[in-house]
Amino acid sequence: MNHTPSENKNEVSRRNFLQLTLGWLASTFAVVAASAGAVRFLVPNVLYEPSLRFKAGRPDDYPDGSVTFLEAERVFLVRQGNTFRCLSAICTHLGCTVNRAEHGYHCPCHGSVFNDQGGVVSGPAPRGLDWFQITLSKDNRLLVDKNQRVAADKYLVL
Amino acid sequence: MNTPLPKRIWQWFTRTRVGRSIFRIGLPESNLERSQVMVSSFLLHVQPAKVNRHSLRASYSLGLGLISLYLFLILIVTGVLLMFYYVPSTEKAYDIMKDLQYVVSAGLVIRNMHRWAAHLMVLFVLLHMCRVYYTGAYKRPREFNWMIGVGLFLLTLGLSFTGYLLPWDQLAFWAITVGTNIAGYAPVIGLKIKYLLLGGNVVGQEALTRFYALHVIVLPAAALLMVAVHLWRVRKDGGLSRPDEPGDIVQQVELKQLPTNKTYGLMELARGTTPQVGQNPEDEVFSWPHLVFRELLLFLLVAAVVLFLSIFWNAPLEELANPIHPPNPAKAPWYFLGLQELVSYSAFWGGVVVPGLLVTALMLLPYLDRQRQGVGRWFARERVVANTIFTVCLLTAIVLTIIGTLFRGPNWGWVVPWEQPPAITEGH
Amino acid sequence: MNDLSVRKFYAWFTMLGLLVGVLVVIGYYRDEYREWKNYQHKYIQEEIRRASTPQQLALAKQIPVQIRQILLPDLNRVDRCTTCHLAVEDPSYGGYPQPLAYHPLHEQHPFDRFGCTICHRGQGRATTDADAHGNVPHWDQPMLPLQYIQASCGQCHEAADNPAAPELARGQQVFEDSGCRGCHKLNGIGGVVGPELDKVGARRSPEWLKKHFLAPASVTPGSAMPPQKFSETNLEAIILFMLSQTGESAPGYYASMKVIPSASEGQRLFQQKGCIGCHSIGGQGGKIGPALDDVGLRRPVEWMMQHFRDPQAVTPGTVMPRFGFTETEARALTDFLMHLRDQKVALSLPSLMSPGERGREVFRKYGCAGCHGADGKGGVPNPNAKTAEQVPGLIYVADGYTKDELKKRILNGQREITALDPKRPPPPLFMAAWAGIIKDSELDDLVAYLFSLKPKEENPGF
Repeated sequence: MNHTPSENKNEVSRRNFLQLTLGWLASTFAVVAASAGAVRFLVPNVLYEPSLRFKAGRPDDYPDGSVTFLEAERVFLVRQGNTFRCLSAICTHLGCTVNRAEHGYHCPCHGSVFNDQGGVVSGPAPRGLDWFQITLSKDNRLLVDKNQRVAADKYLVL
Repeated sequence: MNTPLPKRIWQWFTRTRVGRSIFRIGLPESNLERSQVMVSSFLLHVQPAKVNRHSLRASYSLGLGLISLYLFLILIVTGVLLMFYYVPSTEKAYDIMKDLQYVVSAGLVIRNMHRWAAHLMVLFVLLHMCRVYYTGAYKRPREFNWMIGVGLFLLTLGLSFTGYLLPWDQLAFWAITVGTNIAGYAPVIGLKIKYLLLGGNVVGQEALTRFYALHVIVLPAAALLMVAVHLWRVRKDGGLSRPDEPGDIVQQVELKQLPTNKTYGLMELARGTTPQVGQNPEDEVFSWPHLVFRELLLFLLVAAVVLFLSIFWNAPLEELANPIHPPNPAKAPWYFLGLQELVSYSAFWGGVVVPGLLVTALMLLPYLDRQRQGVGRWFARERVVANTIFTVCLLTAIVLTIIGTLFRGPNWGWVVPWEQPPAITEGH
Repeated sequence: MNDLSVRKFYAWFTMLGLLVGVLVVIGYYRDEYREWKNYQHKYIQEEIRRASTPQQLALAKQIPVQIRQILLPDLNRVDRCTTCHLAVEDPSYGGYPQPLAYHPLHEQHPFDRFGCTICHRGQGRATTDADAHGNVPHWDQPMLPLQYIQASCGQCHEAADNPAAPELARGQQVFEDSGCRGCHKLNGIGGVVGPELDKVGARRSPEWLKKHFLAPASVTPGSAMPPQKFSETNLEAIILFMLSQTGESAPGYYASMKVIPSASEGQRLFQQKGCIGCHSIGGQGGKIGPALDDVGLRRPVEWMMQHFRDPQAVTPGTVMPRFGFTETEARALTDFLMHLRDQKVALSLPSLMSPGERGREVFRKYGCAGCHGADGKGGVPNPNAKTAEQVPGLIYVADGYTKDELKKRILNGQREITALDPKRPPPPLFMAAWAGIIKDSELDDLVAYLFSLKPKEENPGF
């Protein structure tokens, strides 16, 4: 059964064959798995940046007809009657923070002008400002999710 | 065909154009190729094409040097990975250690691997030194390699010590406080060295920054360099020591004796021992596969042990470093506990004179030992005096370390470890 | 050459290769299957089960399984409790078993600004049950048992008169009454016989504190502190008060929020602004404006606030000037006046009190009762002290000292206490030197008070 290996070093017995194959498969698997583990190690699971989902306070904190700039999150919170919307304050040209004007928004860096709907009126901005999803959290606070962009006509109605 | 599958796959690959461009020789199938693959490969050419069969005996060298090298490699890989998260700031370091444990994928295992490999490396470098001593392998022509080895031993201790501070917990802070205080006892330069190490008078942010720099670049670079020279010297000194070596037969070719204008190959101009000198052909074996396969096995063993320890035992992490609350007693890392015990008897004699003399003796040992016999065998009879002296010193060091670890309690007083709690805790 | 053949090692190779492979797999499993993921799956299942519209179902199915954390850079912490406690903000989870239960009473302290550990303590960065709850080695701040939760209020808010934390207020009262300050400094005021208490709550557990009050020497060998006799309620209260002394500072946003006025803040303002010049409380004070004893019964809060903003607007023709109070000050004063209806406010209005009465306040402030007994009656043990193994009482101090001598004695203290038996250990309690701590005016008042302690002449004809 166990035929003796010949002098040719390439010939191995069946047992040796299995041993080598198994050994190499296991070792290669271990190396590949360890490398995958090392890469996964490098992918962060938590971030120390301000969260993209945040609470913007209570609905009553925002007067009717107001546009409130939230500095840390770089968004505008717009209230009209009982409807709430959240507009990005980051210019779509090169990322400066836009300012609220009488009507609409102006970017101080290169002069882009946006209207109240966030659409581009003039200037180098390639597209309008983003609107972010805004919902009401379970404890009755405005919840903004900058991961979700929504169309300009989506409001939160309370 | 009875060639195992992985081997067939590799053979196929190394015959493709891409494979051939990378692996010029491929899997060796003739003796010529076995020689060529060693010489033509960047990683493998640090080893000779043929080795003496005696060098392969595990019972001789126990592979201790190799184990130390493998541990060092594991430390480098895990260390670099950890560098992607760690920040040497007294405000952040501890929190990052907690994050590694709780939120980073595989963070706990990788940190554990780094810690256990570090402790094992100190141990195995020490064991390797003992092996070299007991086999008389430091004698001519290997004296300088021994000194490099002692240097590597000190670097290993330095790497372990500098790394010990980085978690910035109570264990780290107080161990380094004790350790640097011991360093400060050296006469004349002690306090200056301490000031330089700490970047000030206290163990604080400056110390953490410096220790980090030492730990991640200065000491590893020095160690890598010295490892390279260390391995180079092993080659040049004739491979691993073995019994009844021809010693230092020098084959010289006096150039002026040669009548022609012929240019000579390197092997004719090089002097000193090579494996080929004074050898019988049947004593030599090809490194591929005999040496290389054994090295692979040893690596798997080391990896298995480090992984096993890291999966089932966690590296310690105590409270955040607090300069106001020293633990009682405050202990140095285990490899310095023998020293701390000595220091408790006398700061000058115990902390400076005795260790200083020991290290000096260690360094100068090959030049102090004139006896030529006794190379290549464990506990050779001719060396009974030398071996006894070394063993006594070694055992003393071990006993002192054990005392410092287990039998010293609060205020460095005597305790019996199985009767009392290890240290005064904070009264919770 | 055959005995060197590597073939004999193939079996080793297989075993070691498999061993390393298996270990890597084990490592992967331990890393991947974490405790918190179980809880998150349970929560998602529950949300899916409760979904009543397709929208809600879609939202529930989208809930990601990931670590959740609240970043609190100002408080220097990161709280990951919501990784398991997923429904803390959702009232519909009231009554569910932990960790999915709703957390009530968080309106004033929203989680995204306060996190969890600032009140509950524990180890916020941890993601396992045991480690996060903090009853593990090498973590100094395990979670506070719920019965002591009011201690955390005291980190930011004034203890006294905090309506949401009555136990804390009681604790501070017990502290003041017992005269602990006589030996212990708190917030910079007190004696030096014992250690400062500013951070005691951060370092000591409730169990340790309880033992410490009942039998100090059992937890602090060689302690000079005499065992305290507290009622069960008072003991719990003072433990709670001690737990509130954590040395946490409330930076920026929190400091401004902290000026949620308490009635005692209002009392301070009342004195500072001189309201007593026109209004009276308890018969004391001016007669120009109305008495304020029952204003809390007669006027609603909004009226009071408006009155502080603009007295003319609510009381036309009034002579009360506009003081220009900030909203916070107005609220504090309102709080204070509303409280007058609830309790007999022992008004410490210095201008109206006699020196003896002021001196009693000084006696209380510096905790003299801790060693000299309540009202200076003595009775506090000081083993091996020549003075009948007790700290001397102060009732007859007027007989033994002139006022100047007494002042000097208080200022200099007495470090060495004469021992009864020189062979026994020296008496542990001593008198701190109060020079530099006690003000001159306070010293005068205190001496006046101490001299008044002597009981009136007994009926000589007895």
